[in-house]
Amino acid sequence: MDFDVVAHGIVAGSLYALVAVSFNILYRPTNVFNFAQGELVMLGAMIFASATSLAGMPWFAAFVATLVAVGLIGLVEERIAVAPILARSQTGTGWVITTLAVSLIISNLVGRFWGPDPILVKPPEPLSMEALDLGPSRISSYEIMLVIVTIVLVAIVESAYRTLKGKAVMAVAEDREAALLRGIDPGSLRRWSFFLGAAFAAMTGVLAAPILYASTSLGPDLLLKGFAAAAVGSIGNNRGALIAGYLIGVTEALGASLLSPGYQEAVIFIVVLTVLLLRPQGLFGSSTARTV
Amino acid sequence: MPLRAALPLVFQAAAIAIALLLPAFVGANSYALFVATQLGIYVIAAIGLNLLAGYAGQVSLGHAAFVAIGAYSVALLTVDHHWSFWAAAALGMVLAAGLGMLAVLPAFRLNTWYFAFITLAFALVFEKMIVEWRWLTKGFAGVVGVPPPSAFGFEFGPRPLYFTVVLVTVIAFILVRNVVHSRFGCAFVAVRDVEPAALAVGASPQLAKLTAFVISAALAGIAGAFFAVQKTVVTPDDFTADFSIFFLLTVVLGGLGTLWGPIIGALVFFLIPELLAGLQSWRMLIYGGLLLGLMLFAPHGLFGALRQGWRRFAPQAATPVLAAERAEHPPIAGLPLQVSGLRKRFGGVLALDAVDFHAPAGSCCAIVGPNGSGKTTLLNLASGYYVPDAGSVKIGRVEMLGSSAPRIATRGVGRTFQTPRLVADLSALDNVMLGAYTRERANLLSIALRLPSARAEAHRLREEALGFLHFVGVADRAETEAGEIPHGQQRLVEIARAMMGGARLILLDEPAAGLSMSELERLERLIARICELGATIVIVEHHLDLVANIASHVTVLDRGTVLAAGKPAEVFKDERVMRAYMGERALKTGAPA
Repeated sequence: MDFDVVAHGIVAGSLYALVAVSFNILYRPTNVFNFAQGELVMLGAMIFASATSLAGMPWFAAFVATLVAVGLIGLVEERIAVAPILARSQTGTGWVITTLAVSLIISNLVGRFWGPDPILVKPPEPLSMEALDLGPSRISSYEIMLVIVTIVLVAIVESAYRTLKGKAVMAVAEDREAALLRGIDPGSLRRWSFFLGAAFAAMTGVLAAPILYASTSLGPDLLLKGFAAAAVGSIGNNRGALIAGYLIGVTEALGASLLSPGYQEAVIFIVVLTVLLLRPQGLFGSSTARTV
Repeated sequence: MPLRAALPLVFQAAAIAIALLLPAFVGANSYALFVATQLGIYVIAAIGLNLLAGYAGQVSLGHAAFVAIGAYSVALLTVDHHWSFWAAAALGMVLAAGLGMLAVLPAFRLNTWYFAFITLAFALVFEKMIVEWRWLTKGFAGVVGVPPPSAFGFEFGPRPLYFTVVLVTVIAFILVRNVVHSRFGCAFVAVRDVEPAALAVGASPQLAKLTAFVISAALAGIAGAFFAVQKTVVTPDDFTADFSIFFLLTVVLGGLGTLWGPIIGALVFFLIPELLAGLQSWRMLIYGGLLLGLMLFAPHGLFGALRQGWRRFAPQAATPVLAAERAEHPPIAGLPLQVSGLRKRFGGVLALDAVDFHAPAGSCCAIVGPNGSGKTTLLNLASGYYVPDAGSVKIGRVEMLGSSAPRIATRGVGRTFQTPRLVADLSALDNVMLGAYTRERANLLSIALRLPSARAEAHRLREEALGFLHFVGVADRAETEAGEIPHGQQRLVEIARAMMGGARLILLDEPAAGLSMSELERLERLIARICELGATIVIVEHHLDLVANIASHVTVLDRGTVLAAGKPAEVFKDERVMRAYMGERALKTGAPA
């Protein structure tokens, strides 16, 4: 097994894990799985690329501006495409179609605005994409930092669930009506989770940009791989998503190097199907009872 | 015949007449005929997608892949291996359904959106594989020169091909209509809207979704087969993600879950690109905007809007129900229920701990207790909605512990729910008929073909269901949509549904909650009558007067354990029971029981 292939699999897997975590942030209190999430990641990368490369904003200012901008777009999505559907029926799945529609709209508007050419984004100083000479692996300082930042981010998100607000999120996920009776407003929680979930997606885009370039083709790809990591790692479980992200990233890299790059998606697809067939709730979840 | 009933027939006849007369007015090689043939092909696939997404609630985002499987099967087999079109098309249908099934099977146990994701991924992977497997599919160049179908030495030109497509479209429409109006269609809607109701009548949600999927994928496969011969060239570019979105939009535009939706949607859709030819590059943006707008403002699409307008124009006359008069119901051989040592834990809460409960055959037993004492949990365990941690549940003489809800229902266990679980979009009569889901013998094929035996059986069951609606006293609501029936009567429809399923053990979960005094009396008489017929009844209830009047045996639960059990009069005098119900102080001051 080539060590370099595994290392790049871990780097890619970290990105997939971040997308999966952004799914989870949004899913837990709302039970909505946002089909526009991939496009929000893409939008984050594009806005950040324009802000730094074209407008010349400093790294940190551009970072904050991107997160807020995409977070607000997530909020708009919730108001327009999700809230009216859930108002009609809490259990319906019309939001599958409406969030997909939002993804089509974002992807086309962005394509129209920025054009199809990928934009190169430089990592923040002193990190660089230059391959370090570390014996068997040719990995860059930015990629090493990305792997570490991902682990830290997952830890931060997990500890956020232990705060009072985080517990409110879990309460709504568990039993919406009971949470309502305890003075938790599910509507406001849902708006916040769309804002935060979208901002987290944008951050993923910013982090991914130096490696994958900012381009409109990021969206669908990260949507599916993020879903794969979330489903394999059990929906709602962020540590599970991290490990599943690595698993998917490494499998994909190995599949590409052993078979052919054209088989990347097929290999991931088969892994996801196999896991779901054997353990429908994912690798790191327990089955929950339905209530009548 | 009244106008209301005649209208659909008029429309059907007109649609077929226009379709058949079209070739007489346009040239055989004209663009109009080409477009009309293509329209027919898209309608076939859209009818299938509508059955899946509209009725069974499984939104496929990768329908283009199933069309592609049919198209590539025909193109490769006829060009490279000189198969006949018909054999290749048949194989294409089988492959579309089979390959699709392999991919989506894991999704059926999970939330609906898993299905959407997996079909989306399947289409993407399939598109890549077409390019990757150059040795099989010829890669980007595609398969060229697909020969037209032929039969008996006669080669199909554009006109015969058009007629064939029209014929297949009509057949697909009729088959799907027959399925939608049968127990299968009702089960699809139940699975989509109220899964507990599907489980209660013994319909397996996985099997229902699978059935809808197989029909849908097979229709996409046959559409693909015609797609190949019509275009004569098949390339990977024909089956992109955009194509899948196009099918979805067609169905949403026409009306999800309406029979005419796919046809109206495809017709309108075909006019739009012609009108917007100059806006080609805005296409996906327009698709997205339309999808969003339709889902928000017209969830039943154009057909739904038309139907609403028509109803306002010609309000529904109250159709008198030609009811079979109240026939005496044959006796029911009650099933005993024996629960022992039952234990169930939810996280840190021990909901039930070593509970024993016995309901002899033909008895009426009540379970009472304060809120949160585990009454409903006991019912859910006995009917298979929860899996217990330990203990035994015997129904009749058979151990049913760990069996699925549909299997327990099939054993002759009917139940009602705390909040009535009826399929709101179906009439009360259809809801009751759904109760006979596992009793109905006619299979999918004979229902789709409307064979005389299937029709006779459906007619018989309909009469029987009406009889049960009479029995519970809501026959006047037979044709009303269940969602519009008052709460108290929904309960009665649920009881009728349970009886329709041939239930010999009926579990009632707080049937009296929210009933008025007169409704309560009716309910009491009804339960007494069902008991007289011989069925075993287990009732969870807070209304102690009702319990005292009808139950021969009462079990009191408190915090997951049995506090007392025995005859109602004795149990209600028990000091511990009074304490659990009314608290220490009330007991001391001697509040009336």
